[in-house]
Amino acid sequence: MSTIRIRSPASYWLAVPAAAWMLGVVVVPIVLLVWVSFWGGRAFSMASPLTFDNYARFFANQTYLKLALSTIVHTATLMAVTGVLGYCIAYFLVMKVKSPGWRLALFLAFIVPFWTSTLIRAIAWVPFLGVNGVINQTLMYVGATQSPIEAFLYSRAGITMAQVSLYTMLAAGPVVYMLNAIAPQLREAAMTLKATPFVVFRRIVFPLTLPGVVIGQVLVFLNVMSDFATVATIGGNKHALLSNLVLLFYEGSQIRAASVVAVLLMLCMLVGVVVALRVVDIRRLGADR
Amino acid sequence: MDALAHDPVEDAAPGKARPPLDLELIDIRKRYGDFTAVDGVSLKVSKGQFVCLLGPSGCGKTTTLRCIAGLEEPDDGEILIGGKEATKDPPWQRDIAMMFQDFALFPHMTVAKQVGFGLEMLRRPKAEIARRVQHILKSFEIAVLADRKPASLSGGQRQRVALARAMITEPRILLLDEPIGALDYSLRETVMLELKLLQQRTGISFIWVTHDQNEAFSLGDLVVVMNHARIEQQGPPEEILQRPATAFVAGFVQGNNVFRGRVKELLAGALRIETPVGTFLVPRPLAAPPPMLGSEVSFSVRAEQITDAVFERHVNRLSAVCTAVEYFGAVRRHVFERSDGEVLKYDQFGAHAARIVPGLRLVLGWPAEAAVLHAGVGG
Amino acid sequence: MIGWPKIGWKGRLGLTGWILGIITLVFLSYQWLPIFTLGLLSFSGPTGGTTFPMNGASFHWYQELWRATVMNDFKPPLLRSTLLAFACSATTIVLSVMAAQAMRGQFRGNGWFFYLMLLGIMAPGILVGFGFAIMMRLMGVELSWDTTTFLVQVSWTLPFGFLTMLAVFNRFDKRVEEAALTLGASRLTAFRRITLPLVLPGVIGAGLFGFSLSYDEYARSMFTTGPDATLPLAIMAQLDRQLTPEIYAVGTTTTFFSLIAIMLFTFAFWAMRRSTSLRKASSA
Repeated sequence: MSTIRIRSPASYWLAVPAAAWMLGVVVVPIVLLVWVSFWGGRAFSMASPLTFDNYARFFANQTYLKLALSTIVHTATLMAVTGVLGYCIAYFLVMKVKSPGWRLALFLAFIVPFWTSTLIRAIAWVPFLGVNGVINQTLMYVGATQSPIEAFLYSRAGITMAQVSLYTMLAAGPVVYMLNAIAPQLREAAMTLKATPFVVFRRIVFPLTLPGVVIGQVLVFLNVMSDFATVATIGGNKHALLSNLVLLFYEGSQIRAASVVAVLLMLCMLVGVVVALRVVDIRRLGADR
Repeated sequence: MDALAHDPVEDAAPGKARPPLDLELIDIRKRYGDFTAVDGVSLKVSKGQFVCLLGPSGCGKTTTLRCIAGLEEPDDGEILIGGKEATKDPPWQRDIAMMFQDFALFPHMTVAKQVGFGLEMLRRPKAEIARRVQHILKSFEIAVLADRKPASLSGGQRQRVALARAMITEPRILLLDEPIGALDYSLRETVMLELKLLQQRTGISFIWVTHDQNEAFSLGDLVVVMNHARIEQQGPPEEILQRPATAFVAGFVQGNNVFRGRVKELLAGALRIETPVGTFLVPRPLAAPPPMLGSEVSFSVRAEQITDAVFERHVNRLSAVCTAVEYFGAVRRHVFERSDGEVLKYDQFGAHAARIVPGLRLVLGWPAEAAVLHAGVGG
Repeated sequence: MIGWPKIGWKGRLGLTGWILGIITLVFLSYQWLPIFTLGLLSFSGPTGGTTFPMNGASFHWYQELWRATVMNDFKPPLLRSTLLAFACSATTIVLSVMAAQAMRGQFRGNGWFFYLMLLGIMAPGILVGFGFAIMMRLMGVELSWDTTTFLVQVSWTLPFGFLTMLAVFNRFDKRVEEAALTLGASRLTAFRRITLPLVLPGVIGAGLFGFSLSYDEYARSMFTTGPDATLPLAIMAQLDRQLTPEIYAVGTTTTFFSLIAIMLFTFAFWAMRRSTSLRKASSA
């Protein structure tokens, strides 16, 4: 018994506003995008005939295909880097920091930047990476290099560096949650069963945190694939990923081309999420191999 | 050089070396900041002995157990397992296994996988592991659960899995941290008996931590009563129950009446002790030096040694008012209030008819030999 | 044995702790240094470029910000962003409380409903913004910051508020509601007088999400604001034109405002929790 009756009309109607909002603002536009991507003809109207021409045009273009591939490679790199880094940080925070005061302080120190604009944090990397930027100046000061390394700003490396700082905590968060849920007795029991600490980690701790790792990776994946601002700010006009392509086409009034890229982007993300959910589900019921 | 239990076979063969103790703790000390959890604990456990660490919460019994396991490192003292120094050894190098209070089963492994885990760590060949897992699952009657995960098991089943997982490595010592606390009451008796028989069959030393006296006294060959980080008394159950060494032990175990007072007179083989409720004659061991006149001492009398049919030989007497009568089937317990406000328990054989009712004032007595003088630090 | 330092096995394992600790702290500075640099550089002297050396320290760029010309006037966008953020916050609170309470009622199809909400988080901003803009174009609706942008921003903030309220209700002990009902309160009254005050920390959390997520939002807004930009869009536009330390000044200012808003919300949150939580009796 509670303030809402189970399966009552009231509970249904309370959900309607939110559902209507999301359907109208998210679902319908996405479906619309899919529809538009099949529009043929010249005029931009709902009466347009449906055709695969737009897709054919996209896939025929080598540049675009290369772009799609490099987007995937870039995202995979980010996932790997943030995954490892995020796990190390999560493990340190949960297992190695004993005093709850310090743990809270560190946790806050990591979380607070998230409450500020990602755009600003991305922009903040520009003075770091440039030819006269902080990194280069430090390197030259220390004597590591003679002339500034141009490879930071306006490069894939620079974008990666910035995105690592932006998204690692997304990978770490779910892992922190799962690590917290592991009772210390489990590790102790394994140790009394002749398992050395590394084996305890590999056979007990890591498998139990796998759902967290997967969720974290999904979050990073989604964010990196749709992040155009960091690419544009740090990559300048020299680099673009799939998400930037959408924008490019839109600004060039090539709505149909833009929607093709949008649909492809969505498909990639859908595939990624479905695969991840499969893995997580399996793991939840899954055997220790 | 005293062993707490004799192995007749070994003793019978002259010239044969005495078997090493399964476990020896020498003056273990463990502190957490200002708090001393274990303060000078020494213990000797012979081969195949069932030891119960008994005491109230916070007395240090679990910390001691964890030091034996290697999960805690003592600040001082030594731990010898099977005669070998193990004080600085990590848990995975010690010849021990442990059963945890909530069983600590690995949620992501099947029963078969986790029971075999210890053998995997010992790098046994796969075929051997499979064979031994099968064997132990059968002997614990859980073979049908081999492919199930812990989440789908009942409490009793989990306990068996935890036990199988620990026993399969054939450790020298099995450490048990309140192992039946998580089980239903009705299951506990059965499990206690099974574990006692298991211990006798396998000859592994069990070290069982509990706050429940019934468990400790029915299971243990050796009972170690702990309080405030120290061992108050250790010995076979009868010794603890019949001859408590300190006021704490006397008060902690059931069925004792504790008296505190001052030494009034020293006699040969006895003391006359003056307490707020009267002066009593208490025997004292001749071997030990007598306490000083006027010093504070305590003694206890078991509830079944008291009688209301007072004769000449019942030299110790006091008058009290009955406040309640409790019937347990085998025993009828009468609760009296002494003139100093303390409780006095008088137990009678349950089959006898009830005579005493609440409100009645009686004179109760006991013979001098029934009183037990407490040595050592008073509670 | 006596005299040997008792390091033991736990001490020897400390090495992993040290390595992980160094990684963590290095990353912490990696995350914060750019922000600090941004803040520092915003105080550059008038001749300072967009990177070191600073050429003196001054409030010059902040003054530029204030005295702004039409080209780089960030004040109207700031106003629009703030208003939008408040509107999103309020809407998020109302809708997410309703939606979470509805979930408690376990209506038929609530599984789908949950995924529908999640879709708002998972769908990329560009796609939602783009699609919505096309939809408006086809429907002949004009794009404006106070209508169309508001609609899409709520679609982004609502799921976060929803998840927050779900988590709060999960931890909520509904026996206090039952007590109220047995004392004669109607469902609505019980909700208003008992439930709501107790879940207020969660409500404040949802409001915080609504505010800060809307304030910093740019992907969806980009397509839907029409001629009037919000603050993030104005910053992006300026970036396209020219990078000056004025941008750093804007960035620092807006970050500062964000942090103040968060601190206020957090303080309110903490104060609420303290006053409504039952204090545990202290043990010996």
